[in-house]
Amino acid sequence: MNNANKEKIVAKRQKDYKEKVFHFIFLVSALVSVLSVIAIIVFVFSKGLKPFFGEGAYSFFDFITGLKWDPGNDVYGIFYMIVGSVLATLGAIVLGVPIGLLTAVFIAEIAPKKIVAIIRPAIELLAGIPSVIYGAFGLGVIVQLIKKVSPTGQGESLLAVICVLAIMILPTIITLSESSLRAVPKSYREASYGLGASKIQTIFKTVVPAAKSGILSATVLGIGRAIGETMAVMMIAGNNIGGLPNSIWSKIRPLTSNISMEMSYASGRHQDMLFATGVVLFIFILVINTVLIRLTGKMGDEGSKK
Amino acid sequence: MIKNSNTKLKDGIAGGLIYLSATITVAILIVIIGFVLYKGLPGINLKFLTRMWDDVTTVVDVNRNNVTGNNTEAGYVESLGISIALEDEAVVIKSIDNDSPVKDAVNVKKVPYALKKGDVIGKAGSTNFKNITLEEAKLALNEGTGPIKMKVTRPGGGIVPMLVSTIYIIGLTLIIAAPIGICAAIYLNEYAKPGKTLNIIRFAIQNLAGIPSIIYGLFGMLVFVQGFKMSYSILAGSFTLSIMLLPTIISTTEETLKEVPRTYRESSMGLGATKLQTISKIIIPSALPGILVAIILSIGRIVGESAALIWTAGTIAQIPKTLVGSEAAAATLTTKMYWLIKETADLEQASSIAVVLIVLVIALNILSKFITRRFLKKRTS
Repeated sequence: MNNANKEKIVAKRQKDYKEKVFHFIFLVSALVSVLSVIAIIVFVFSKGLKPFFGEGAYSFFDFITGLKWDPGNDVYGIFYMIVGSVLATLGAIVLGVPIGLLTAVFIAEIAPKKIVAIIRPAIELLAGIPSVIYGAFGLGVIVQLIKKVSPTGQGESLLAVICVLAIMILPTIITLSESSLRAVPKSYREASYGLGASKIQTIFKTVVPAAKSGILSATVLGIGRAIGETMAVMMIAGNNIGGLPNSIWSKIRPLTSNISMEMSYASGRHQDMLFATGVVLFIFILVINTVLIRLTGKMGDEGSKK
Repeated sequence: MIKNSNTKLKDGIAGGLIYLSATITVAILIVIIGFVLYKGLPGINLKFLTRMWDDVTTVVDVNRNNVTGNNTEAGYVESLGISIALEDEAVVIKSIDNDSPVKDAVNVKKVPYALKKGDVIGKAGSTNFKNITLEEAKLALNEGTGPIKMKVTRPGGGIVPMLVSTIYIIGLTLIIAAPIGICAAIYLNEYAKPGKTLNIIRFAIQNLAGIPSIIYGLFGMLVFVQGFKMSYSILAGSFTLSIMLLPTIISTTEETLKEVPRTYRESSMGLGATKLQTISKIIIPSALPGILVAIILSIGRIVGESAALIWTAGTIAQIPKTLVGSEAAAATLTTKMYWLIKETADLEQASSIAVVLIVLVIALNILSKFITRRFLKKRTS
């Protein structure tokens, strides 16, 4: 009797012990993400900020406002790259968001089920195509087309980057906008129809405004994708060594392509400066992430109120 | 009346724009795939899919048969049991007999290196096969008796090393990332209570998801390649990708865990099962299809990734023999495609790899659809 009890207690203790161990394992696994983010920030920032401190430090002001990148002569200016990245991203948003949103409207509100069954896999495929293939497409088609009409006679340009980025953010914009359009309650549409509005009026005056915050976070996510895109952009940007872009035909050198172009042979300060470029890009991304997290958090609140 | 027709016009324009946009989206996909197929399809053949990337030249020793000299078929080398032919002024093995001694050939280190159809013979004994006629080659191969030294080149031009490397990296990455990601999702969905810890973890995951792959590449290069001295290797690449994929695996797994009905948990606990037992016996089995979809999504991302792999796994086309070090450097299909465009401007060959990539992406999409559909059916029935 006593023995049996003891055994039970031992078994229970072992069970408790096992429960605790696994609880700990699960917690540690969850903390890996936190540690990773911290590690990425610490390592990239510490290497990227190194050239601006200590003896023979490079002026951070010169770095951030410079219009020329010439590692051979120890000149590292990235302002024109920041401008290039921002312009390319803006252009992609201006071009991609309307097309993406209207496509989402088509899928969510207008298209019959049969057509949706064709379009949706197409968009999923578009989302799954590796960025290198977009780069190859940009190089083989878009750059060749631009070459024919550009006054500079060159295809690699801001315009080419904008076109490819707009295509690349389409799936993100479409999928997120579509789900926020679908989340708009049916009663909104019925009320609008009841007031005598046409289908198109209902869509643009009622449904789209109601899905505003979802569409906005889709746009912010698109901005993050566009500014962080590397491989496709690098192949078609032209990657000039200096000077601000003055038209859509100008070559640009986005921050991302600066990093990946020279990483294979850079060393010493040159390599540190590429990490510094990464730091600037990272700061952009952190800001975009924060905005996005705020936006989606807000959306969750709204949802719970309904 | 005027107002009405005005509305109609506006509606018409807006409706037209909607249709136009949807058409543009689909047209873009068709043009991209059309472009890739047009450029890449001519380069796809059995050799492209089955050969190594680089030409491999090896010196081998072959023990020849005794020649009876009664087989006079053109191009047939009886002592070796092979048929040879001239192709682009090179002597190529066209067929090999079942009992041919070239199957037992050994290289300089005495490691077996069986010759194969398609191998090019560059030298036999002391005869160089450059600008040689078929008869001369045959004579040289039959000259003397016993063992003969041959210099043999196995032509490359295929994607086998990249295919193998891609599979290795997928496997390694999933071994590292899947357990961590799944355990993290279990913690978030089953254990975590609302509060600071949970907020921090969620914030970290959301941030991780937004970091562009080039930053992962920089980090991986700094920490795994240089810091842990792994050099460009599949392990360094896999560690980097593992971190990158955590958000995908965690959030997809969490979604499926959320879909497991609460009653399952309550019934299990009510029957006296512990939390751990409930998780391992009830929750994970019923969330398995969703976890599988998370893994397939991850595979898709690995197949398409380039920026995070170039600076961590390198761009050398070889089948990795170790996990770290110089023999572990490996290009995946995607990184090799990038390298081809950048270093050789060979859009045709790059497009041929792109065709393979698109086929893979489509296959993965269909697979995940299939699992989701079966899974949903089970739930609703």
